[in-house]
Amino acid sequence: MKRNRSARTLPPTENDDWLQPKYRGEFTVRDFNAFNTMKKGFDFSQAVAEADRCLLCHDAPCSKGCPADTKPGEFIRKLQLKNITGAIRTIKTNNILGGACGVLCPTERLCEEACSAMLKSKEMPQGQDRAIRIGEIQRFLVEYSWERGYQVLKKPEQNRGKVAVVGSGPGGLSCAAELAQAGYLVTIFEARPEPGGVIRYGVAPFRFDENFLKKELADIEALGVEFVCNHRIEGEKGAEKLLENGFGAVFIAPGLWKAGELKPGQAPIEGLLSSVDYLESLRDGRLEQTAATFEGKTVAVIGGGAVAMDCADTAARIGAKDVYVVYRRSYLQMPAEEEELQSALETGIHFLLLNQPLDYLTTADNKISGMKIVRTRLGETDDSGRRTPVEIAGSEWNLDVDIVIEAIGNQAEPESPNWYPGVKTDGKHLIQADPETGETTVKGIFAGGDIVRGPSLVVNAVRDGKVAAQAIQQYLNQ
Amino acid sequence: MKSSNQVDLSIDFCGVTFKNPFLLSSSPVSNSAEMVEAAYEAGWAGVAFKTLNSDRIPIIHPSPRMNSYHYGHKKLVGLQNVEQISDRPLKDNLVDFLYLKKKYPDRVLISSIMGFSNAEWEYLAKVSEDNGADMLELNFSCPHMCVEGTGHHVGKAFDLIEKFTSTVKNAVSIPVLAKMTPNITDMTEPALYAKRGGADGIAAINTVSGISEVGLNDLVPKPNVFGIGAISGTSGPAIKPIGLRFIAEMAQCEELNLPLSGMGGIETWIDALEYLLLGAGTIQVTTGIIHYGYRIVEDMIEGLSDFMVEKGIKSVSELVGKANVNLKTTDHFELDRQGITQYNLDACIGCGQCVIICDDAAGQALEWDEKERRPRLIEDKCLSCMICSFVCPVDGLITFKEMPKDWNRRETRTMDQSLEKKLNFMPYKDINVL
Repeated sequence: MKRNRSARTLPPTENDDWLQPKYRGEFTVRDFNAFNTMKKGFDFSQAVAEADRCLLCHDAPCSKGCPADTKPGEFIRKLQLKNITGAIRTIKTNNILGGACGVLCPTERLCEEACSAMLKSKEMPQGQDRAIRIGEIQRFLVEYSWERGYQVLKKPEQNRGKVAVVGSGPGGLSCAAELAQAGYLVTIFEARPEPGGVIRYGVAPFRFDENFLKKELADIEALGVEFVCNHRIEGEKGAEKLLENGFGAVFIAPGLWKAGELKPGQAPIEGLLSSVDYLESLRDGRLEQTAATFEGKTVAVIGGGAVAMDCADTAARIGAKDVYVVYRRSYLQMPAEEEELQSALETGIHFLLLNQPLDYLTTADNKISGMKIVRTRLGETDDSGRRTPVEIAGSEWNLDVDIVIEAIGNQAEPESPNWYPGVKTDGKHLIQADPETGETTVKGIFAGGDIVRGPSLVVNAVRDGKVAAQAIQQYLNQ
Repeated sequence: MKSSNQVDLSIDFCGVTFKNPFLLSSSPVSNSAEMVEAAYEAGWAGVAFKTLNSDRIPIIHPSPRMNSYHYGHKKLVGLQNVEQISDRPLKDNLVDFLYLKKKYPDRVLISSIMGFSNAEWEYLAKVSEDNGADMLELNFSCPHMCVEGTGHHVGKAFDLIEKFTSTVKNAVSIPVLAKMTPNITDMTEPALYAKRGGADGIAAINTVSGISEVGLNDLVPKPNVFGIGAISGTSGPAIKPIGLRFIAEMAQCEELNLPLSGMGGIETWIDALEYLLLGAGTIQVTTGIIHYGYRIVEDMIEGLSDFMVEKGIKSVSELVGKANVNLKTTDHFELDRQGITQYNLDACIGCGQCVIICDDAAGQALEWDEKERRPRLIEDKCLSCMICSFVCPVDGLITFKEMPKDWNRRETRTMDQSLEKKLNFMPYKDINVL
């Protein structure tokens, strides 16, 4: 067919269809395949084009911005110069969860924050361009290594002693991989049936999927790390006893798995879920069962963080009719990343900002029927640097809901200090460890990740694992 | 063709009027009337039709025929091809000639021909003229001919250039261009042979012999024609400097004094203008079209028109060769005038690439302020090589400025002056005196 080479028509001005869902983050409700799959990342040409935008700075502010020291300045230069295996080696040597971090990191406030490619100058302080999409490039390189079968890390002979790691989340995995590469035989004890911790059981699968996680875990297994799942380290001195059972050192990184409650000690109500249990039910084989209970229901999610957004976003996708995020401060104070907030908005989540839930309303047969809420206004700035919510007297109202998910912030399990009584913990049951080494008050026991920091980023847990691995080697060499 | 500036871009070239200087060169982009028609509709003023084949031997193209030379993510900075002459029957090509001349009488049809013998050259020249060709282009430069006395082998055997040109000139009355190979050291010499044979103009350059890529797994240079690679023609932006050089040298050769049709790596009006300024009267394009399609001529026309309006130039012919007065050999430089770079740090974004390359490839004239993330120039160490400005991502941040006559550049330091007493050395000029 002949092309019309001189066609010059103006674009149509009628049939304005910008309100169509396709412009608004369209998704298909109860499409479990899509629900369980991440969006495709860069392909080779896209990654090369993006890497070519990199200015290869003298001082690589991106590398300075990575808590785990993944060295983006180095791996992007390597990609630009077609040293692709070397680029992958840089990532995986410095960050065994380079793939997960590439996907999950809030890069715009880490490696990308000071990116020179934004072209900020005295003349143009706002910049003229966008940062290099470092996370996307990192993800591409790691996926490319799987696609091409590049094994950039080698398993050394492991004869330098045994180390136990409690918890197979990002912190535990990072510490284990580091020690395995240094020649230690590492065993990871995981309470749940599958390894991964928060990046398996605490995140929406369309943000980080099973398939990707399995490949990243395989890289760690290939280093000789042993996984013992369904094995909860608990009970009186459970963790400390590992030192007596042939392990030279222990790294504790179990994460935070107790969901905060609106009313601590609340008796169970049908339809009242914790974010921890709810998100886990999407990943442990109960997805369709959970979806069935949500279908056509009105759901409220309490909280404004990343977990709350994941809960709301997933609830809408598995079939809830309406999903409300109920948050006591306003939009700018929400702890979730901008990308997560946008995703929730595009999914059609209703944001009830400046609304403080007070209590639950139940039916005669103990089912949730609604929430008692009071309106708030923003007051003075608090210790977190955010303005505090102040309740407006007399503004109470009731919201009819069928299901409530509490996503108020994850906490340490209250009984956890009993597993390591010699280890000093604080009032929130968080372990007090040296931030530079992970050392605790018990010789040979180190800790890191959320159990030390409180809720934090995957990349920070990776960093803690690396730091502790160094300290553990020093300790074992003494 | 709608253009912001309606400028007459026509030019007389070898006695033929072209409505603008932009032509398709003889290649896959000018393979048939169907294609050339689309090019004419896009605005091209003429075509050097794909080199005719006299049907003496069948032409079979290797498969695959081409390979792209990428630079980073930028595709086709160069193109390599093992293209042959037209694989169509002569009759079909000539019917297409008639069609094009009937429908587009104002466009110039140049017939590219290549023969193996005097008789074949003469035959192809005549049938071209008899079927509407306005001009001939003698292909003395196809880099893929292996038989002696053909293609680029003619372009390297100068007496054959003269012989075949003269044969053609005696057979036809239309103007004749000789198309030259760049795979020699000096093009003026074969061009003079063509002139002696009666050529009315020179077309240059054909593709540069090259190898664009080697397959790392199969060890076959590309294009990989079922396990075999070959040295073959490289074209595209990568070879523009070579093309400009040959055009300028021929334009400056007073003895030659022939119209030149320039080509080699032209994609934009600026590339085309550079060819014009160095002596080309028309310009030809293939690889630019292989990359972007015929539509690029729209930007060439608009860009050149706006440039001419801005500079108050009335006719393209005023531009031809205009830069050659400023093109001299390096011994003409005024070495007592020196300059350095200057930095507008208000526009600096702090990437520091300038510091890296000044340290590693120039005069170590930049210091890095780690806290401010800014370079600081040590003026008397600057070599004025300007490489910092080539890597700087901000336009106009780094510029050249001339320094006063009494300004001096610092000597490059030696690492350990104390070693001077151990030198085993006598200055060359002292030895010469002895």
